[in-house]
Amino acid sequence: MARVQSPARSRPSTYPGWFFLPAAIIYGVLFLLPTFASLYFSLTRWTLFNSTFIGLDNFAQFFREPFLIKGLINTVIYAVVSSGLKVVLGLLLAVLLTSQIAARGYLRSVVFFPVLVSTVGVGITFTVLMHPTQGMINEGLAMLGIKGPGWLVDPNLALISVALVDVWKGVGLATVIYIAGIVAIPQDYYEAARIDGSTPWQSFIYVTLPLCRPATVTVITLSFIGGLRTFDLIWAMTRGGPGFASDTIASVIYKQYQAGFYGLSTAGNVVLFVLIGVLVVPLTMLLNRKEGHE
Amino acid sequence: MAGLELKALHKTYGQVPVIKGVDLSVSHGEFVVFVGPSGCGKSTLLRMIAGLEDITSGELWIGDRLCNAVEPRDRGIAMVFQSYALYPHMTVYDNVGFGLKLARTDKAERDRKIRDAARILQMEHLLDRKPSQLSGGQRQRVAIGRAIVRQPEVFLFDEPLSNLDAALRVDMRMELAKLHQDLGSTMIYVTHDQVEAMTLADKIVVLNGGVVQQVGAPIDLYQRPANLFVAGFIGSPKMNFAEVSVQSINGGMVTVASKDISAVTVAADTKSLKVGDRLTLGVRPHHLSMDASGTLVGGVSLVERLGNETNVSLRLPSGATWLVVLDGDHNLRPAQALQLAIDAEKVVLFDAAGQSLLAAM
Ligand SMILES: Nc1ncnc2c1ncn2[C@@H]1O[C@H](COP(=O)(O)OP(=O)(O)O)[C@@H](O)[C@H]1O
Ligand SMILES: [Mg+2]
Repeated sequence: MARVQSPARSRPSTYPGWFFLPAAIIYGVLFLLPTFASLYFSLTRWTLFNSTFIGLDNFAQFFREPFLIKGLINTVIYAVVSSGLKVVLGLLLAVLLTSQIAARGYLRSVVFFPVLVSTVGVGITFTVLMHPTQGMINEGLAMLGIKGPGWLVDPNLALISVALVDVWKGVGLATVIYIAGIVAIPQDYYEAARIDGSTPWQSFIYVTLPLCRPATVTVITLSFIGGLRTFDLIWAMTRGGPGFASDTIASVIYKQYQAGFYGLSTAGNVVLFVLIGVLVVPLTMLLNRKEGHE
Repeated sequence: MAGLELKALHKTYGQVPVIKGVDLSVSHGEFVVFVGPSGCGKSTLLRMIAGLEDITSGELWIGDRLCNAVEPRDRGIAMVFQSYALYPHMTVYDNVGFGLKLARTDKAERDRKIRDAARILQMEHLLDRKPSQLSGGQRQRVAIGRAIVRQPEVFLFDEPLSNLDAALRVDMRMELAKLHQDLGSTMIYVTHDQVEAMTLADKIVVLNGGVVQQVGAPIDLYQRPANLFVAGFIGSPKMNFAEVSVQSINGGMVTVASKDISAVTVAADTKSLKVGDRLTLGVRPHHLSMDASGTLVGGVSLVERLGNETNVSLRLPSGATWLVVLDGDHNLRPAQALQLAIDAEKVVLFDAAGQSLLAAM
């Protein structure tokens, strides 16, 4: 009989080994197969119906793309800005929404609502709102006597503008994760701190912040990976423009794919996959480092 | 020097009254135990003293200050929680020193106080550990250490031993008693365990349903319970009760009997009694002894032989079951008939309202 458990733990498994077969088949067909297929196709010149093996040429060409470096830098900026803001805003909103404020349940739904809306819909809506002259945002600013910037048409601002919309849409999920983390902190800790003379701010620094660290790790990891892979919002709002000012790896890949360079764009995907691994694995190791003592 | 004075304290949650008028005075250095069944409001009362719950009405005096609206940190109290509430991300050293750090105590001073507390509690070797690396008893020590460094006038404990196993609980109980002797501070201790209350307290406050039932020294509560509730709650094993009726009254002595008890004559407050009144007789299991001329007869239903004493469940003719603790070892068989004498000097009579009819001393 096949032994599925690792030798280190010789405790017999509760379920027979073949129980995991259905999941394994689905996982294999829908995930492993495409992954290895794309690894193979990234090494070919591929025109949907036939492919010829060309070794690492696709990768060589991908890295010769004139705007690739710009795309790589943009991707990292986008991921850092959007995940950083989601952590800070998500935590602040969660603290607010777990305190004794009026209409707490209602406000929680309001914050979570954007998560449920289609990304492309959000993108299109904000493109309209961010129109430099007729958009509601700049009209609102004009009423306050401020001349709003060209959110999506200014090459220096376009990427950040999209990242801000990403934060607007994604902060609800971060907030929900933080709320779950905060309500799991026993009330005793706050009471003990209060008797020790802790101010609300000190309780936040010494109790809430360290004890919701698992939530922080989850939010950073999820939103950072999401930021690195971002495509739909960029595509809906700027198509990588103006020029190539807001191109990310994913949008570069998509443009190559649209142009019919399937092998090349598959190679780009492999590069993105490796990039995510190279950035996220050390990050999570760093974030989880101290938790062994818990 | 800080005693406490509680005057007509009330607490309601929404419409629900939980503490219904508690008056109590605690003098400096006293070890006071709040005891009562689960949900009777012990923790609520303690938390009102700590400042973690608002006082709905009444006055709380700590020392000579009215503390109703004083912040917890300024009340001169320290509290040990049932869960210990040790911060999992801090070492024992930092846990103990947390309050001092918040108070911006000078670093050398802080270090000295933390090490002093650790020495008193014999946990110097634990200072660098995290709470997860400690046993239950060690965590308990750290929690007490955190209270000690604050040098409070009043220590508050909320069921601090209930998460420990039985043997450790006995050890920690003795250490707490010793700590109280050494520090000489006022201590208020909440427990639902009457044995803890009896062994630790200078003064026990029995609570039920948010109302103080009786306040007194442990032995007074045991010997002279004010009502049926206290009589049933204090003492282990529990007091036996029987419905009796008054046969005759002779000065300060009243003779009562029931279906199970042929007659027993008890000293009592007989002023309001008359022949035929229905009363409740309370007899502790230890106050029964085997006697061929005894007034109580029953059949043995269960025997526990502990060597030094024998616990017997006795089935009485009326169908009631009484518990009897006999000195020494007795090899009794189930269904065996047993004749017992009641030590009439130690029994208590209760009137129909459940108030005890103890003769004035
Ligand atoms: N925050 C609260 N809101 C409403 N009722 C409460 C609250 N805290 C305690 N109670 C009620 O007050 C009563 C006394 O509680 P507590 O003081 O914790 O009892 P004890 O410590 O004696 O077991 C209980 O009936 C409990 O349900
Ligand atoms: Mg309690």
